[in-house]
Amino acid sequence: MAPELALGGLQRWMQSVIVHPAPIEEALASRETSALLPPGRVGDVLLPSATLAAGERIGIYHEMYLLRMAEALASDYPALAHFFGETRWPVLVRDYVRAHPSRCYTLNVLGRSLPGWLGEAAIVPRRGFCRDLARLEWAVTEAFDAEETPRLTRQQLEGVPPEAWAGLRLVPSAALRLVELRWNVNEWLDSTKDDEHDHPKPRRRDAWVAVFRQDYAVYRRELSHPAFRLLQDLASGRSVGEALEAALRRRGTPGPEALTRWFQEWASDGLFTRLDVGAKARA
Amino acid sequence: MNRFGFPDLGIGIGLRASHFGEILSRWPKLDWFEVLSENYMDTGGRPQWVLDQVTERYPVALHGVSLSIGSTDPLDREYLRKLKALAERTKARWISDHLCWTGVLGRNTHDLLPLPYDEATLRHVVARVKQAQDLLERPIAIENPSSYLAFASSTISEWEFLARLAEAADCALLLDVNNVYVSAFNHGFEAERYIDAIPADRVVQYHLAGHTHKGTHIIDTHSGPALDAVWALYARACARTGPVSTLFEWDEAIPSFDEVRAEAAKAAPLRGVPVLATGTHGA
Repeated sequence: MAPELALGGLQRWMQSVIVHPAPIEEALASRETSALLPPGRVGDVLLPSATLAAGERIGIYHEMYLLRMAEALASDYPALAHFFGETRWPVLVRDYVRAHPSRCYTLNVLGRSLPGWLGEAAIVPRRGFCRDLARLEWAVTEAFDAEETPRLTRQQLEGVPPEAWAGLRLVPSAALRLVELRWNVNEWLDSTKDDEHDHPKPRRRDAWVAVFRQDYAVYRRELSHPAFRLLQDLASGRSVGEALEAALRRRGTPGPEALTRWFQEWASDGLFTRLDVGAKARA
Repeated sequence: MNRFGFPDLGIGIGLRASHFGEILSRWPKLDWFEVLSENYMDTGGRPQWVLDQVTERYPVALHGVSLSIGSTDPLDREYLRKLKALAERTKARWISDHLCWTGVLGRNTHDLLPLPYDEATLRHVVARVKQAQDLLERPIAIENPSSYLAFASSTISEWEFLARLAEAADCALLLDVNNVYVSAFNHGFEAERYIDAIPADRVVQYHLAGHTHKGTHIIDTHSGPALDAVWALYARACARTGPVSTLFEWDEAIPSFDEVRAEAAKAAPLRGVPVLATGTHGA
């Protein structure tokens, strides 16, 4: 007699099989799935076809699950997937989705926890490099998907009277992301864009990158450390006066001419969306 | 003409990112686009902008993969709220999703998992379709799935299940002719029998697509052109329904816009008297 599996129990069992990281035979016999339906009773629940056994039929969904997850993550992390290669990437994905399965209606956020996970997972080689590469690629994804905000123009900035600058706040564009790196991942990411794929060796290198969007295309710009810190302070809501004061206390901050050039460059890049006077600015 | 008064939009294809450039540059002649709902619910960048441009010029319908109408988890009200907002923003002519479930216990496998076809499941799905329609404030179209396994507990054929679901929930149907072909092979039933049993006045849209034959089973990959046998089933269905909005799905190794459109255009002589559609532009 076929076991009476109500719809809920049936779905819990099917899901546990489909997402199980082991090959299908082991998945069907695993402790987790056996607790819901012993492997010997799979044939009582699922029918064979003319060409496939019952276990092979649910195996089709089992195989497609990991392929789909690998494809989704590779679309958000193409450089990372390239770094790991065709053999190691599915293994990484298997372990990642085991720890961070999708709980959303969209696959677009599946990879949100990957950078943090890469920094801790034992199976990951060159953990620091991989984590930084993932952080940079996720910043690119976030910049791509961010809402469109109007651009604060250079003319608008130049129109601010000098006495008003100290109290001004520059509201960052919704697509702006500031990424502090410890590895040479920005140049590594650049190397994936050309056909030769002449990749630099992973090595330690401090870098500070602004990721932003212009006319719906995403760009990365490496900044000096002082420029990055100033931009970070401005983007966090500090007034221009407060941010400049902090910058001038730091080593390496240039003089007024160079500072002016930074602000002009940031305006040209569309890093800010508007000026605020008074209350703390948030994008 | 269907009982819902949904228009015959003519022949359309899916809106795909790989075609954005081409669409934006020449606004090609096409009756309508089908838009994948989940791709546009949470993005504010270029995809959203492109969608806005497209919906100003072409009629669209929304097609989703995460409604999970057959799941024993509660309906995702946040998902439905966003879907409703997207439908309003795009002036979507209708919303569709699949007869399936995608996950339980808060998880999403991002696959269209099959349901047993029995009286209890029918009652369950009817109730949920009614609930979804109430929340969306419109009837939805349910698509027949392609599937790779069958349940020992099923007591109703899929075509009877769909017909009774549509009647009891008063919902529309999206008849995927390729899925009928695929499932007929995988489960050993006659595709023609399925086509002949569907309530003709509830069909508001057709899907056509290619697939991948694995020998022991067929996978609904939406790759390549449709088989002659699938076109024949489509003609058979159209003879019962009259002209109905038709959409060609091509999601793997997507060729140029013109190539997909040319494949979709094969529907024209098969669907009956062509209807002059709105939204045709350019060449």
